[in-house]
Amino acid sequence: MADLPAPRSADDDVLEIACREFVELVTEHMEGTLPKALENAIAAHLELCDPCVVYLEQMRRTAAALETLPTPTLPAAARDRVLEMFTSLHGGTDPAAPR
Amino acid sequence: MHHDGALPAVTAAVLEGGHAAQVELLDRLRAGDRTAFAELVDAWSPMLLRVARLHVSTHASAEEVVQETWLAVIRQLDRFEGRSSLRTWVFRILENQARTRGVREARTVPWSFGSGADGHEHAGATVDRARFRGPEDRWPGGWTPEGRPTAWEPAPEDAAMAAEVRRELRAALDELPERQRTVVELRDVYGLSSDETCERLGLSPGNQRILLHRGRARLRARLEHVYRGTTGEGARRG
Repeated sequence: MADLPAPRSADDDVLEIACREFVELVTEHMEGTLPKALENAIAAHLELCDPCVVYLEQMRRTAAALETLPTPTLPAAARDRVLEMFTSLHGGTDPAAPR
Repeated sequence: MHHDGALPAVTAAVLEGGHAAQVELLDRLRAGDRTAFAELVDAWSPMLLRVARLHVSTHASAEEVVQETWLAVIRQLDRFEGRSSLRTWVFRILENQARTRGVREARTVPWSFGSGADGHEHAGATVDRARFRGPEDRWPGGWTPEGRPTAWEPAPEDAAMAAEVRRELRAALDELPERQRTVVELRDVYGLSSDETCERLGLSPGNQRILLHRGRARLRARLEHVYRGTTGEGARRG
């Protein structure tokens, strides 16, 4: 990801990340696209860092809240026209179909 | 045919071509199962309208494109070979319809979406650096006591917050740079997968993630601001 602070390696060569790095990795973490070593580092970080757990939760809730935004759909007349066409082209209703 | 064990149409319709549940759904549709078809129309029309708007300049045109798309789906249903998911096939039909019309409307297609990043959209941290400890600190890059995020109470989905959260998110979305807004809308508001979003917008997976990340981070910050305002938690401002 652009402009990421490079995660530092600790002395024992286990990757460690700081909070400032976590907040830039959070989306890739949510997408599941990070390499294993970084995922391990994030798991270790979240074990110890409540504010980052809160941050992650807030990103999730933000995405979830976006799902609830109202979205325009087809006008009822257009929907009816489409469904009428469907029935006229693909025969009557399937008798087994719940109507 | 017994429908009791069948997957919902919208579930079967995103499965890869050749999947047994897709074959079953196609059989149902070709046999005139209006309920299954209506399920797809109702679930997908909002998303198709949004994608159509990438190509045509007015909402009314997008409505016509989506209606024409469904009519084309109905007409071509018997010819669909099922090599892709049904949803992918519907997207292709939509984009053909939309492009034809978009050309007539001289709408230049998605702002050369795939080409290059506007630098400012990709640069910089998504959280104010002042909220983190400096390099000389014992915990460099850790949250400062004032900077750390605090849990949102009540939750955004709580009835007490939901209306204001939606209002703020809508406003904040509209203020995002267009590429970020489009990616966040397609992914989070309309429920496209990352692959679908990349394909619709001609984006690489990496660029798509960057735009999603920056967009979502700004929206999170907006909600955080709302919560600070409502809880009077303090005047610090990220």
